[in-house]
Amino acid sequence: MTMAANFGRYFLFILRREKIMSSVWIVSLVFFSALLAAVYPGLFPSEAALQSMAVTMNTPAMVALMGPVYGLEELTPAIAMAQECLIWFALAVIIMNIFFISRHTRLDEERGRFEMLVSLPVGRLTNSVSAIASAFLINLIIAVLIALSCIVIPMDGSTAAGGLAYGLSVGMQGFVFAAVALLAAQLFSTGRSCVGVSFAVMGVSYVMRAQGDVAGSVLSVLSPMGWGLQVEAFYGNDFGPVIGLFIEGVIIAAIALIINLRRDIGMGVFPARKGRARASRFLLSPFGLAWRLSRGSFLAWAAGILMIGLTYGAVVGELERFVEGNDIMKRMVEGGNAAASLVDAFIAMLNNIMSILIAIPLVNTVHRLVAEEKRGRMEPVLATAAPRHRMFGSYIIIALMESVVFSVLGAIGLYLTSASTGLVTLEVLMKAALFYLPALFVMIALSALLAGWVPRFSAAIWAVFAYSFLMLYFGRILDAPEYMVKITPFGHIPQIPVQEISVMPPAILCILAIILIAAGFLGYQRRDSGR
Amino acid sequence: MATIQITNLYKRFGRFTALNGVNMSVEPGEVHAFLGPNGAGKTTTLRCLLGILKASDGEIKLFGRDAFRDAVDLHRRLAYVPGDVNLWDNLTGGEVIDLFLALRGTRPDKERRDAYLQRFELDPTKKCRTYSKGNRQKVALVAALASEVELYVLDEPTSGLDPLLEKTFQDCIGELKKQGKSVLLSSHIMSEAERLADSVSIIKEGLIVFDGPMSQVLEQGIGLEELFLSEYEGRS
Repeated sequence: MTMAANFGRYFLFILRREKIMSSVWIVSLVFFSALLAAVYPGLFPSEAALQSMAVTMNTPAMVALMGPVYGLEELTPAIAMAQECLIWFALAVIIMNIFFISRHTRLDEERGRFEMLVSLPVGRLTNSVSAIASAFLINLIIAVLIALSCIVIPMDGSTAAGGLAYGLSVGMQGFVFAAVALLAAQLFSTGRSCVGVSFAVMGVSYVMRAQGDVAGSVLSVLSPMGWGLQVEAFYGNDFGPVIGLFIEGVIIAAIALIINLRRDIGMGVFPARKGRARASRFLLSPFGLAWRLSRGSFLAWAAGILMIGLTYGAVVGELERFVEGNDIMKRMVEGGNAAASLVDAFIAMLNNIMSILIAIPLVNTVHRLVAEEKRGRMEPVLATAAPRHRMFGSYIIIALMESVVFSVLGAIGLYLTSASTGLVTLEVLMKAALFYLPALFVMIALSALLAGWVPRFSAAIWAVFAYSFLMLYFGRILDAPEYMVKITPFGHIPQIPVQEISVMPPAILCILAIILIAAGFLGYQRRDSGR
Repeated sequence: MATIQITNLYKRFGRFTALNGVNMSVEPGEVHAFLGPNGAGKTTTLRCLLGILKASDGEIKLFGRDAFRDAVDLHRRLAYVPGDVNLWDNLTGGEVIDLFLALRGTRPDKERRDAYLQRFELDPTKKCRTYSKGNRQKVALVAALASEVELYVLDEPTSGLDPLLEKTFQDCIGELKKQGKSVLLSSHIMSEAERLADSVSIIKEGLIVFDGPMSQVLEQGIGLEELFLSEYEGRS
């Protein structure tokens, strides 16, 4: 085995490099799995609650989103949890695997770290074999710990076999995509394209599964994600898909290794695309640069928010059944608005949550101003005739624009999947979403203020974010006092369509935002720039 | 009027004093070498000069105007190569060069840009992510040299270049000098400074310890390297 010489040491070396990163992944995944196992029984206090949830889950939109429904005749909270959560765990683990493999293969090669390692007495395949082996080990650890969390925490319908089917399905889906990423790493010559192509495969696999699950066709089994769901955890406990996925992963990894043997270090099977030798006209201004650096994140978030809108819109028609007999859900949706219709209350709650979610990319955009500075890329820009105020202004304008676009997209998404119920109008949805803009402006403005005066503490905005999130999300469940919600920027927004439209609070928030942005601007004009 | 006139420049970061009363001037049309080891205050001085950092005290005049307040206007008349060139992973070298030329606001001269690309053997179609340190430095150098400006501020521009390209760089500086341009060249390669410079400043712990024309250095019968070492070792 000279091709994988020094495998053992290299394997341990990868694990050592992963000490923190993979531990964080493992701990958070297992934490959430345990949390869900603890929470699920409480969500469904009665057989009726379980049945009504199952009816909701059995609609085409929900099946497309989360996979097929099974075990209807003897539903348990464990089955409900597996149906609704397995796919999200699988997605998270797949993403982890893609980054893991890219990090240890193509990215190492691209950064030139690999060259140094290869000059040592290691085989041509040592790196790839160690990477896929350590990925397998980490997937296995996750699978076993998730299984344990389901077994240890008492939950109706939970069995050891069920827990294992649940955990192993997640782990083996991850392993297949580790192999896919390893293959992509041989084909393409940059870490970025390796990750990008693997994500594309994941996307195709998800869509194939959605199609297949809704139509009940073979497409589901052809997709690793669809096949993984067919373990029917806590019901059928079929380990066939687990074994199948393992073999699938081994075959893909083997193909990757064969290609690996035949190619030069630093090269891919497909050559790197050449970039532009000249800049397009649109890049050539402070705004053009800021936009170019924000574009990728903008597109990703736009797609994500539209998806979320579409998903929740699909629930509107099933709302009555969804909430019936479920106390926590009921309190959450209705909040202080018990008198309002359920649909109205739902829309108000949803916009509440969507708006805080939308704040994330906006804050990131403003923060890019500071991030660019910390990475030393602002220095050569400010040494040109690009005025500081235009750099500052460009990011603020992009963030403001994003806030409008994202809010509109969320509302459109909601409308598209709920229009057929006749319970909502686009006008109401738009109003409900757009009235949150002043709160988003204030979040942008607070970030701008920090970036302008105390760039070192610009992350403090996340404290505001976390507090607002807690208040908006859990405040209703925990019966938090009114003033604790009111001091967040989001607390003053009228919850349309439940509450009356009021103009004063949003107007005051807008004025506040303008003042804060102006203040941040003054700070940015006169402070030191740099690390 | 001096191109650069720095008078009693202080820069403090909290309790730490980086510049302790720097005095320095660069005359029009001269190549001025700015010498000192790492941490002596070279880069801090240059950053103050460019209005990236704000002086704690003292005065910096560029072309007779305030370097911080009038930064934007002044930057149309100069080009800068940072010591540590950080670029955007996703942009190609060609895009970055065009961007800097455009932001500087000087008239873009495609032939001049392409000529420098060739002289420095830089492939502009590659993403900056894939460039080595030397190649990133070349991007910044081409973006600076291709600009038609009066002053070039270069912070250790050759630290990542091979000897052949180092020679190319020296030729380029020679050409700028013939055209009557001013150059402020921070460096710790003494032979390079000795060959190119008309005058020299040596900075030590935030203070200028030698400032004078190259001829004065040579009159003393010692090379620049010996002068530099004597400032740093001999008198302490």
